[in-house]
Amino acid sequence: MSASEEFASIYREALPVLLISLVGGLFSGLVLEIVISQADTFPGLLVAVPVFLATRGNVYGALGGRIASGLHQGLIEPRFQRDERLLNAVLASFTIAISMSIVIATLSWAALALLGWESASLPEFVAILLVAGVLTSVVLILGLLVVIFAGYKRGYDPDNLVGPIVTTLGDVFGMSFLLLATILVEAIG
Amino acid sequence: MIGSNESLGSWQANRIVRHMAPLLIALSMIVLIAGVTLEDARGLLAEYGILAVMVPTMIAAGGNLGAILSARLSTRLHLGLADLRVRDRTLWANVAAIYALGLTLFVALAVGAYTISRLTGDPAVTLFELLTIALGSGLAIVSIAVVASITATWASYRLGVDPDDVTIPVVTNVVDVLGMLVFVAVSSAVLGF
Repeated sequence: MSASEEFASIYREALPVLLISLVGGLFSGLVLEIVISQADTFPGLLVAVPVFLATRGNVYGALGGRIASGLHQGLIEPRFQRDERLLNAVLASFTIAISMSIVIATLSWAALALLGWESASLPEFVAILLVAGVLTSVVLILGLLVVIFAGYKRGYDPDNLVGPIVTTLGDVFGMSFLLLATILVEAIG
Repeated sequence: MIGSNESLGSWQANRIVRHMAPLLIALSMIVLIAGVTLEDARGLLAEYGILAVMVPTMIAAGGNLGAILSARLSTRLHLGLADLRVRDRTLWANVAAIYALGLTLFVALAVGAYTISRLTGDPAVTLFELLTIALGSGLAIVSIAVVASITATWASYRLGVDPDDVTIPVVTNVVDVLGMLVFVAVSSAVLGF
Protein backbone atom coordinates (compact mmCIF):
# COMPACT_ATOMS: atom_id res chain seq x y z
CA MET A 1 0.00 0.00 0.00
CA SER A 2 1.35 3.41 -0.94
CA ALA A 3 1.60 6.22 1.57
CA SER A 4 -1.34 8.12 0.10
CA GLU A 5 -3.53 4.99 0.00
CA GLU A 6 -2.59 4.34 3.63
CA PHE A 7 -3.59 7.92 4.49
CA ALA A 8 -6.95 7.63 2.70
CA SER A 9 -7.85 4.25 4.18
CA ILE A 10 -7.13 5.34 7.78
CA TYR A 11 -9.17 8.52 7.31
CA ARG A 12 -12.10 6.70 5.72
CA GLU A 13 -12.22 3.87 8.26
CA ALA A 14 -11.74 5.94 11.41
CA LEU A 15 -13.96 8.96 10.66
CA PRO A 16 -17.45 7.41 11.15
CA VAL A 17 -16.54 5.95 14.54
CA LEU A 18 -14.88 9.20 15.66
CA LEU A 19 -17.98 11.18 14.66
CA ILE A 20 -20.19 8.85 16.74
CA SER A 21 -17.81 9.40 19.65
CA LEU A 22 -18.07 13.18 19.02
CA VAL A 23 -21.85 13.06 19.45
CA GLY A 24 -21.45 11.02 22.64
CA GLY A 25 -18.83 13.51 23.86
CA LEU A 26 -21.11 16.49 23.26
CA PHE A 27 -23.90 14.77 25.18
CA SER A 28 -21.63 14.08 28.17
CA GLY A 29 -20.45 17.69 27.91
CA LEU A 30 -24.03 18.88 28.38
CA VAL A 31 -24.30 16.66 31.47
CA LEU A 32 -20.95 18.01 32.75
CA GLU A 33 -22.37 21.53 32.49
CA ILE A 34 -25.18 20.48 34.87
CA VAL A 35 -22.69 18.71 37.18
CA ILE A 36 -20.70 21.96 37.39
CA SER A 37 -23.80 23.74 38.68
CA GLN A 38 -24.38 20.82 41.12
CA ALA A 39 -20.84 21.32 42.43
CA ASP A 40 -22.20 23.92 44.84
CA THR A 41 -23.84 21.11 46.82
CA PHE A 42 -20.72 18.93 46.71
CA PRO A 43 -17.71 21.26 46.49
CA GLY A 44 -14.61 19.77 44.91
CA LEU A 45 -16.51 17.04 43.04
CA LEU A 46 -15.00 18.19 39.73
CA VAL A 47 -11.58 16.96 40.89
CA ALA A 48 -12.92 13.40 40.72
CA VAL A 49 -14.57 13.67 37.26
CA PRO A 50 -11.59 13.11 34.89
CA VAL A 51 -10.14 10.35 37.11
CA PHE A 52 -13.51 8.63 37.29
CA LEU A 53 -13.98 8.72 33.50
CA ALA A 54 -10.37 7.67 32.79
CA THR A 55 -10.63 4.70 35.15
CA ARG A 56 -13.84 3.46 33.45
CA GLY A 57 -11.94 3.63 30.14
CA ASN A 58 -8.90 1.79 31.48
CA VAL A 59 -10.81 -1.00 33.28
CA TYR A 60 -13.34 -1.70 30.54
CA GLY A 61 -10.87 -1.08 27.72
CA ALA A 62 -8.79 -3.88 29.25
CA LEU A 63 -11.86 -6.12 29.65
CA GLY A 64 -12.85 -5.46 26.02
CA GLY A 65 -9.31 -6.13 24.80
CA ARG A 66 -9.27 -9.39 26.74
CA ILE A 67 -12.63 -10.53 25.33
CA ALA A 68 -11.50 -9.56 21.79
CA SER A 69 -8.30 -11.61 22.16
CA GLY A 70 -10.28 -14.50 23.65
CA LEU A 71 -12.61 -14.52 20.65
CA HIS A 72 -9.67 -14.36 18.20
CA GLN A 73 -7.96 -17.28 19.97
CA GLY A 74 -11.19 -19.28 20.15
CA LEU A 75 -10.99 -19.36 23.96
CA ILE A 76 -14.48 -17.95 24.40
CA GLU A 77 -17.66 -18.22 22.36
CA PRO A 78 -19.53 -15.13 21.15
CA ARG A 79 -22.72 -15.88 23.10
CA PHE A 80 -24.11 -15.45 26.60
CA GLN A 81 -23.43 -18.71 28.40
CA ARG A 82 -21.81 -19.87 31.62
CA ASP A 83 -18.12 -19.64 30.75
CA GLU A 84 -15.50 -19.69 33.48
CA ARG A 85 -13.06 -17.43 31.57
CA LEU A 86 -15.67 -14.83 30.76
CA LEU A 87 -17.06 -14.95 34.31
CA ASN A 88 -13.56 -14.43 35.73
CA ALA A 89 -12.79 -11.51 33.44
CA VAL A 90 -16.11 -9.79 34.18
CA LEU A 91 -15.79 -10.41 37.93
CA ALA A 92 -12.23 -9.02 37.93
CA SER A 93 -13.18 -5.84 36.08
CA PHE A 94 -16.19 -5.28 38.36
CA THR A 95 -14.06 -5.76 41.49
CA ILE A 96 -11.41 -3.35 40.20
CA ALA A 97 -13.97 -0.75 39.13
CA ILE A 98 -15.72 -0.75 42.52
CA SER A 99 -12.46 -0.69 44.52
CA MET A 100 -11.19 2.13 42.30
CA SER A 101 -14.35 4.15 43.06
CA ILE A 102 -13.36 4.15 46.74
CA VAL A 103 -9.71 4.92 45.87
CA ILE A 104 -10.72 7.83 43.59
CA ALA A 105 -13.09 9.27 46.22
CA THR A 106 -10.32 9.14 48.85
CA LEU A 107 -7.62 10.55 46.54
CA SER A 108 -9.84 13.45 45.40
CA TRP A 109 -10.85 14.28 48.96
CA ALA A 110 -7.19 14.14 50.09
CA ALA A 111 -6.04 16.33 47.17
CA LEU A 112 -8.64 18.97 48.11
CA ALA A 113 -7.54 18.82 51.75
CA LEU A 114 -3.87 19.22 50.70
CA LEU A 115 -4.70 22.22 48.49
CA GLY A 116 -6.83 23.70 51.28
CA TRP A 117 -9.80 23.98 48.90
CA GLU A 118 -13.44 23.70 49.99
CA SER A 119 -14.57 20.09 49.90
CA ALA A 120 -17.59 17.84 50.53
CA SER A 121 -17.13 15.13 53.20
CA LEU A 122 -15.29 11.85 52.50
CA PRO A 123 -18.45 9.71 53.01
CA GLU A 124 -20.28 11.93 50.48
CA PHE A 125 -17.50 11.46 47.90
CA VAL A 126 -17.40 7.68 48.52
CA ALA A 127 -21.20 7.36 48.25
CA ILE A 128 -21.40 9.36 44.99
CA LEU A 129 -18.52 7.49 43.30
CA LEU A 130 -19.75 4.06 44.49
CA VAL A 131 -23.29 4.62 43.15
CA ALA A 132 -21.95 6.03 39.86
CA GLY A 133 -19.30 3.26 39.65
CA VAL A 134 -21.73 0.35 40.15
CA LEU A 135 -24.32 1.69 37.67
CA THR A 136 -21.72 2.53 34.99
CA SER A 137 -20.07 -0.90 35.39
CA VAL A 138 -23.33 -2.77 34.81
CA VAL A 139 -24.08 -0.80 31.62
CA LEU A 140 -20.50 -1.05 30.31
CA ILE A 141 -20.16 -4.80 30.92
CA LEU A 142 -23.51 -5.55 29.24
CA GLY A 143 -22.86 -3.03 26.44
CA LEU A 144 -19.39 -4.45 25.72
CA LEU A 145 -20.59 -8.07 25.61
CA VAL A 146 -23.67 -7.34 23.49
CA VAL A 147 -21.88 -5.14 20.91
CA ILE A 148 -18.68 -7.25 20.68
CA PHE A 149 -20.59 -10.53 20.33
CA ALA A 150 -23.05 -9.11 17.78
CA GLY A 151 -20.23 -7.39 15.83
CA TYR A 152 -18.03 -10.50 15.86
CA LYS A 153 -20.85 -12.68 14.52
CA ARG A 154 -21.34 -10.17 11.67
CA GLY A 155 -17.65 -10.35 10.79
CA TYR A 156 -16.33 -7.18 12.47
CA ASP A 157 -12.90 -7.34 14.13
CA PRO A 158 -13.68 -7.00 17.89
CA ASP A 159 -10.34 -5.19 18.36
CA ASN A 160 -11.71 -2.25 16.37
CA LEU A 161 -14.99 -2.15 18.31
CA VAL A 162 -13.65 -2.05 21.89
CA GLY A 163 -12.15 1.46 21.89
CA PRO A 164 -15.17 3.33 20.48
CA ILE A 165 -17.66 1.36 22.64
CA VAL A 166 -15.72 2.06 25.82
CA THR A 167 -15.10 5.77 25.21
CA THR A 168 -18.64 6.51 23.99
CA LEU A 169 -20.62 4.40 26.50
CA GLY A 170 -18.15 5.25 29.29
CA ASP A 171 -18.42 9.02 28.80
CA VAL A 172 -22.18 9.13 28.22
CA PHE A 173 -23.21 6.76 31.01
CA GLY A 174 -20.31 7.70 33.31
CA MET A 175 -21.33 11.37 33.32
CA SER A 176 -25.08 10.62 33.47
CA PHE A 177 -24.74 8.23 36.41
CA LEU A 178 -22.38 10.64 38.16
CA LEU A 179 -25.10 13.29 37.94
CA LEU A 180 -27.75 10.79 39.07
CA ALA A 181 -25.53 9.78 42.01
CA THR A 182 -25.17 13.41 43.18
CA ILE A 183 -28.97 13.81 43.04
CA LEU A 184 -29.51 10.54 44.98
CA VAL A 185 -26.89 11.32 47.63
CA GLU A 186 -28.26 14.85 48.00
CA ALA A 187 -31.79 13.46 48.48
CA ILE A 188 -30.69 10.85 51.06
CA GLY A 189 -28.09 12.92 52.87
CA MET B 1 -15.59 -25.72 30.14
CA ILE B 2 -12.30 -25.51 31.99
CA GLY B 3 -11.54 -28.10 34.64
CA SER B 4 -8.50 -26.96 36.58
CA ASN B 5 -7.59 -23.48 37.67
CA GLU B 6 -4.15 -23.76 36.07
CA SER B 7 -5.43 -23.94 32.52
CA LEU B 8 -7.33 -20.68 33.10
CA GLY B 9 -3.95 -18.97 33.16
CA SER B 10 -4.25 -15.26 32.67
CA TRP B 11 -8.06 -15.47 32.87
CA GLN B 12 -8.02 -15.89 36.68
CA ALA B 13 -9.96 -13.08 38.36
CA ASN B 14 -7.58 -12.49 41.28
CA ARG B 15 -4.59 -12.46 38.93
CA ILE B 16 -6.19 -9.87 36.67
CA VAL B 17 -6.98 -7.71 39.72
CA ARG B 18 -3.43 -8.05 41.09
CA HIS B 19 -1.88 -7.07 37.75
CA MET B 20 -4.14 -4.10 37.07
CA ALA B 21 -4.66 -2.46 40.48
CA PRO B 22 -1.17 -0.94 41.01
CA LEU B 23 -1.08 0.54 37.49
CA LEU B 24 -4.58 1.99 37.85
CA ILE B 25 -3.82 3.61 41.23
CA ALA B 26 -0.63 5.16 39.81
CA LEU B 27 -2.50 6.44 36.72
CA SER B 28 -5.29 7.85 38.93
CA MET B 29 -2.81 9.93 40.86
CA ILE B 30 -1.52 11.40 37.59
CA VAL B 31 -4.99 12.08 36.15
CA LEU B 32 -5.92 13.79 39.44
CA ILE B 33 -3.94 16.76 38.03
CA ALA B 34 -6.56 17.03 35.28
CA GLY B 35 -9.29 17.07 37.94
CA VAL B 36 -7.54 19.80 39.90
CA THR B 37 -7.25 21.83 36.65
CA LEU B 38 -10.97 21.32 35.99
CA GLU B 39 -11.92 22.40 39.53
CA ASP B 40 -9.60 25.38 39.29
CA ALA B 41 -11.26 26.45 36.01
CA ARG B 42 -14.76 26.23 37.52
CA GLY B 43 -15.23 30.02 37.29
CA LEU B 44 -14.36 30.03 33.58
CA LEU B 45 -16.58 27.00 32.89
CA ALA B 46 -19.51 28.41 34.86
CA GLU B 47 -19.30 31.73 32.98
CA TYR B 48 -18.92 30.08 29.55
CA GLY B 49 -21.04 26.91 29.88
CA ILE B 50 -20.30 25.92 26.27
CA LEU B 51 -16.64 25.28 27.23
CA ALA B 52 -17.83 22.66 29.73
CA VAL B 53 -19.80 21.06 26.89
CA MET B 54 -16.58 20.83 24.83
CA VAL B 55 -14.31 19.39 27.55
CA PRO B 56 -15.19 15.65 27.35
CA THR B 57 -15.06 15.66 23.52
CA MET B 58 -11.66 17.40 23.35
CA ILE B 59 -10.14 14.90 25.76
CA ALA B 60 -11.88 11.86 24.25
CA ALA B 61 -10.94 12.84 20.68
CA GLY B 62 -7.27 13.26 21.65
CA GLY B 63 -7.30 9.89 23.40
CA ASN B 64 -9.10 8.17 20.51
CA LEU B 65 -6.68 9.51 17.89
CA GLY B 66 -3.68 8.53 20.04
CA ALA B 67 -5.18 5.07 20.56
CA ILE B 68 -5.71 4.55 16.81
CA LEU B 69 -2.11 5.58 16.05
CA SER B 70 -0.65 3.45 18.88
CA ALA B 71 -2.66 0.40 17.86
CA ARG B 72 -1.58 0.77 14.22
CA LEU B 73 2.08 1.35 15.09
CA SER B 74 2.25 -1.66 17.43
CA THR B 75 0.58 -3.89 14.85
CA ARG B 76 3.14 -2.76 12.23
CA LEU B 77 5.98 -3.42 14.66
CA HIS B 78 4.57 -6.88 15.44
CA LEU B 79 4.35 -7.65 11.74
CA GLY B 80 7.89 -6.39 11.20
CA LEU B 81 6.68 -3.74 8.77
CA ALA B 82 7.93 -0.68 10.62
CA ASP B 83 11.05 0.33 12.46
CA LEU B 84 9.88 3.84 13.38
CA ARG B 85 12.60 5.52 11.29
CA VAL B 86 12.29 9.05 9.99
CA ARG B 87 12.48 7.71 6.43
CA ASP B 88 9.49 5.40 6.91
CA ARG B 89 6.95 7.09 4.61
CA THR B 90 4.03 4.97 5.85
CA LEU B 91 4.70 6.22 9.37
CA TRP B 92 4.29 9.78 8.12
CA ALA B 93 1.13 8.80 6.22
CA ASN B 94 -0.27 7.49 9.53
CA VAL B 95 0.63 10.69 11.37
CA ALA B 96 -0.82 12.85 8.57
CA ALA B 97 -4.08 10.87 8.64
CA ILE B 98 -4.33 11.41 12.41
CA TYR B 99 -3.93 15.19 11.93
CA ALA B 100 -6.48 15.21 9.09
CA LEU B 101 -8.97 13.34 11.31
CA GLY B 102 -8.25 15.80 14.16
CA LEU B 103 -8.81 18.78 11.88
CA THR B 104 -12.17 17.39 10.70
CA LEU B 105 -13.30 16.53 14.23
CA PHE B 106 -12.35 19.83 15.83
CA VAL B 107 -14.11 21.88 13.14
CA ALA B 108 -17.19 19.65 13.66
CA LEU B 109 -16.86 20.12 17.43
CA ALA B 110 -16.75 23.92 17.15
CA VAL B 111 -19.78 23.96 14.85
CA GLY B 112 -21.64 21.48 17.10
CA ALA B 113 -20.84 23.49 20.24
CA TYR B 114 -21.89 26.73 18.53
CA THR B 115 -25.20 25.15 17.45
CA ILE B 116 -25.84 23.94 21.03
CA SER B 117 -25.06 27.38 22.45
CA ARG B 118 -27.51 28.99 19.99
CA LEU B 119 -30.21 26.38 20.73
CA THR B 120 -29.86 26.89 24.48
CA GLY B 121 -30.12 30.63 23.82
CA ASP B 122 -26.66 31.45 25.13
CA PRO B 123 -24.48 32.81 22.28
CA ALA B 124 -21.94 34.23 24.74
CA VAL B 125 -19.08 32.97 22.55
CA THR B 126 -18.78 33.58 18.78
CA LEU B 127 -18.27 30.82 16.20
CA PHE B 128 -14.86 32.31 15.40
CA GLU B 129 -13.82 32.12 19.07
CA LEU B 130 -15.06 28.53 19.33
CA LEU B 131 -13.16 27.57 16.13
CA THR B 132 -9.99 29.20 17.48
CA ILE B 133 -10.35 27.37 20.82
CA ALA B 134 -11.24 24.00 19.24
CA LEU B 135 -8.53 24.10 16.53
CA GLY B 136 -5.85 25.73 18.72
CA SER B 137 -6.15 23.38 21.67
CA GLY B 138 -7.27 20.46 19.49
CA LEU B 139 -4.20 20.43 17.22
CA ALA B 140 -1.94 20.90 20.28
CA ILE B 141 -3.65 17.91 21.93
CA VAL B 142 -3.25 15.81 18.75
CA SER B 143 0.46 16.69 18.67
CA ILE B 144 0.78 15.55 22.29
CA ALA B 145 -1.08 12.32 21.40
CA VAL B 146 1.18 11.69 18.36
CA VAL B 147 4.42 12.23 20.31
CA ALA B 148 3.12 10.12 23.24
CA SER B 149 2.02 7.30 20.90
CA ILE B 150 5.31 7.09 19.00
CA THR B 151 7.41 7.40 22.17
CA ALA B 152 5.36 4.86 24.16
CA THR B 153 5.27 2.34 21.30
CA TRP B 154 9.01 2.67 20.65
CA ALA B 155 9.94 2.55 24.36
CA SER B 156 7.76 -0.47 25.18
CA TYR B 157 9.11 -2.32 22.14
CA ARG B 158 12.71 -1.53 23.17
CA LEU B 159 12.01 -2.61 26.77
CA GLY B 160 10.54 -5.88 25.53
CA VAL B 161 7.01 -5.13 26.76
CA ASP B 162 4.13 -5.81 24.37
CA PRO B 163 3.10 -2.31 23.18
CA ASP B 164 -0.53 -3.54 22.93
CA ASP B 165 -0.64 -3.87 26.72
CA VAL B 166 0.75 -0.49 27.73
CA THR B 167 0.59 2.17 25.02
CA ILE B 168 -3.16 2.91 25.06
CA PRO B 169 -3.48 3.53 28.85
CA VAL B 170 -0.27 5.60 28.84
CA VAL B 171 -1.32 7.68 25.82
CA THR B 172 -4.91 8.30 27.00
CA ASN B 173 -3.69 9.35 30.45
CA VAL B 174 -1.03 11.71 29.08
CA VAL B 175 -3.74 13.26 26.86
CA ASP B 176 -6.16 13.52 29.84
CA VAL B 177 -3.71 15.55 31.90
CA LEU B 178 -1.93 17.70 29.30
CA GLY B 179 -5.09 18.07 27.20
CA MET B 180 -7.01 19.57 30.12
CA LEU B 181 -4.18 22.03 30.84
CA VAL B 182 -3.90 23.04 27.18
CA PHE B 183 -7.68 23.43 26.74
CA VAL B 184 -8.05 25.65 29.84
CA ALA B 185 -5.00 27.74 28.87
CA VAL B 186 -6.13 28.27 25.24
CA SER B 187 -9.75 29.03 26.27
CA SER B 188 -8.63 31.58 28.89
CA ALA B 189 -6.29 33.24 26.36
CA VAL B 190 -8.94 33.45 23.59
CA LEU B 191 -11.71 34.72 25.89
CA GLY B 192 -9.41 36.94 27.94
CA PHE B 193 -10.71 35.39 31.18
